Amino acid sequence: MADATTADIPADLAKVAEEKGIPLDVVQRALALGFPADLVKGQLGMPDTTPEAAEAFVAEQERIRAGGEITLSDEMTAAAAEAKWPEDLIKRALRLGAPEAMIINQMKAGIKPEQAEAFIAQQEALRAGGGAPQLDLSWMKVPTEWGIRVRPTKHGLTIGAINVGTYGDIPDYWPYQTEMPRGAYPIPGVPSMGYSIFDKAELWADNAADLYEEAIQRRWRPAMDVPWDTMEPLPDEIEKAMCQLCTALCEKALVTGDIIGKWLPEMSYGYHEVKLYLSTAGFDAARQFEVFRKRALSNGGGMGVQSPGYFHRALIDTRFWTEASSTALLFHNSFLMGLYQIGYYTAHNDAERYIFSGTMQDISRQMAYAMQHLRYFLLRKPDRRDEMQHALNKNEAVFSYEWSKDTPLREALLILLGGGTSAEQLADGEVKFRYFWKRWINDYAFRLAGAGLPDRREKMHPQLREFITQPEEEKEQAAA
Amino acid sequence: MTQEATKTKATFPSVDWFNAVKEIVNNDENYKRIGTCDSVVGVKVPDLGKFYSLTFEAFEVADVREVSEGDAEDSDFWLEMSSERWKEMIQNISENGKADLHHTLNTIDLEDPDGLARSNDGYRRDAFYRFNQTFQYFFDASAQVDTTFS
Repeated sequence: MADATTADIPADLAKVAEEKGIPLDVVQRALALGFPADLVKGQLGMPDTTPEAAEAFVAEQERIRAGGEITLSDEMTAAAAEAKWPEDLIKRALRLGAPEAMIINQMKAGIKPEQAEAFIAQQEALRAGGGAPQLDLSWMKVPTEWGIRVRPTKHGLTIGAINVGTYGDIPDYWPYQTEMPRGAYPIPGVPSMGYSIFDKAELWADNAADLYEEAIQRRWRPAMDVPWDTMEPLPDEIEKAMCQLCTALCEKALVTGDIIGKWLPEMSYGYHEVKLYLSTAGFDAARQFEVFRKRALSNGGGMGVQSPGYFHRALIDTRFWTEASSTALLFHNSFLMGLYQIGYYTAHNDAERYIFSGTMQDISRQMAYAMQHLRYFLLRKPDRRDEMQHALNKNEAVFSYEWSKDTPLREALLILLGGGTSAEQLADGEVKFRYFWKRWINDYAFRLAGAGLPDRREKMHPQLREFITQPEEEKEQAAA
Repeated sequence: MTQEATKTKATFPSVDWFNAVKEIVNNDENYKRIGTCDSVVGVKVPDLGKFYSLTFEAFEVADVREVSEGDAEDSDFWLEMSSERWKEMIQNISENGKADLHHTLNTIDLEDPDGLARSNDGYRRDAFYRFNQTFQYFFDASAQVDTTFS
């Protein structure tokens, strides 16, 4: 008989036993047999559990544990034959304390013998271990670099700061086709996720980790941070021009988000810094759409005319990531920066000033990534330099064609810069427009030089190149 | 009896003036909340022959020093204006508590054909846009300095 003297009875179990008139001695003997307290409580609480039934059950269990023979009833034998449960399996279940009625119900419910075997084996293991599950724990012997204890710097605990030891080894080629994090231990047979970019030179930028942290920390919330209540009604043609500009900027934000969203799934996880940063760039694009749509719909105006879309299609049709990022995040963003600068310059209130300075901040990060990536790409794949020039030739040409067709945007900018639609205002707007147009093209050329393509200023599309300030011209201007 | 906050007196341009603004922003939690800023910014006042280097690091202004013209240009970008234009901007900030729409760094930069923010590197120059809110906050903080002009 089990030693019942040492089993403590939890108060809630004792209460149930008292309510059912079951002697505490019986409860103690059940606990001493190894039945968990909550299981005992549940059984005691069943409607058909009487003091006599409880005594009979515990006594039978004590007999079995002492080596007594287990005999199956005729009903149990018949059910086992029909369900094809081996006799030994049933005896093991009874030895564990499973009531006969419950076992028969399980068999009739269609529980397969192998299912029962797994459960019974687990219960036997728990019983043998005093209640603890049997664990594998071989994963604890993983042969990865251990003992890493990176501390926060004055920048906090950054993505770049945890690139220490082997975790900071960023290979030139990533051989894994899964989401296995860099530095983790691979297991064979995990299905490929279909990434197509495994070559570091095809996406890397040394500033990606820093740009990610910068994007996270310097994010702004159009809903709450823009001082919307500083906006006041504007003259009708100004509001219409601003709304047309906002409509165009909404479209450009959407296509930027589409491009990032298209290429992110192609990038393997060996270069998580780039993927993390580009995820924030996608978020920036969403914010840009959000804020310009809100501006268009918050001051008595509405949305304007859709843009011709030729250049958007050219952006989506880019065939490798370096072409996509150079065209969208460097070239197109240089143009966008010019538009944002016009928006800032013609801002009529603090809300517009905040919007355009915030969006200028966000796309300048994208250009920083694109410049550093292009530089990295050209250093490691100098044989593809001409290919990049051809790609920019094509995309600058499509852009120039699109610009020639985008009358609504062009006229809206003239109106904003001139301050109205009178002949005098439009003439003033035209002069200022040429100033800003020249500015963004020269900034684009300056950025390309910083990215390793200084000769692009001579190869640029003619309709853009004509605005490039030549060095001699700069000297004359400075002398004047 | 009313109490007025004691403003630090400093002359622009000088290391003391930039240090006065540095002390203000480094003790301002709102400055930290803008986010990290890592940039070396030159300041040039060519007609006075005065050149400075400001180091922005993480959530503070780490260093201010007077330098040579070459060292001021050996930065991510430098801000270059005549002393009169600098004075106009700082006085506007002092009168209004912050730069008005016509005196922000962005506006001044856009109105100048050569740009207020200049650089020898197209990549580094863009730090002016990436961290513009931080730089504007820095100069707006000069409203808390009792500035005289040399």
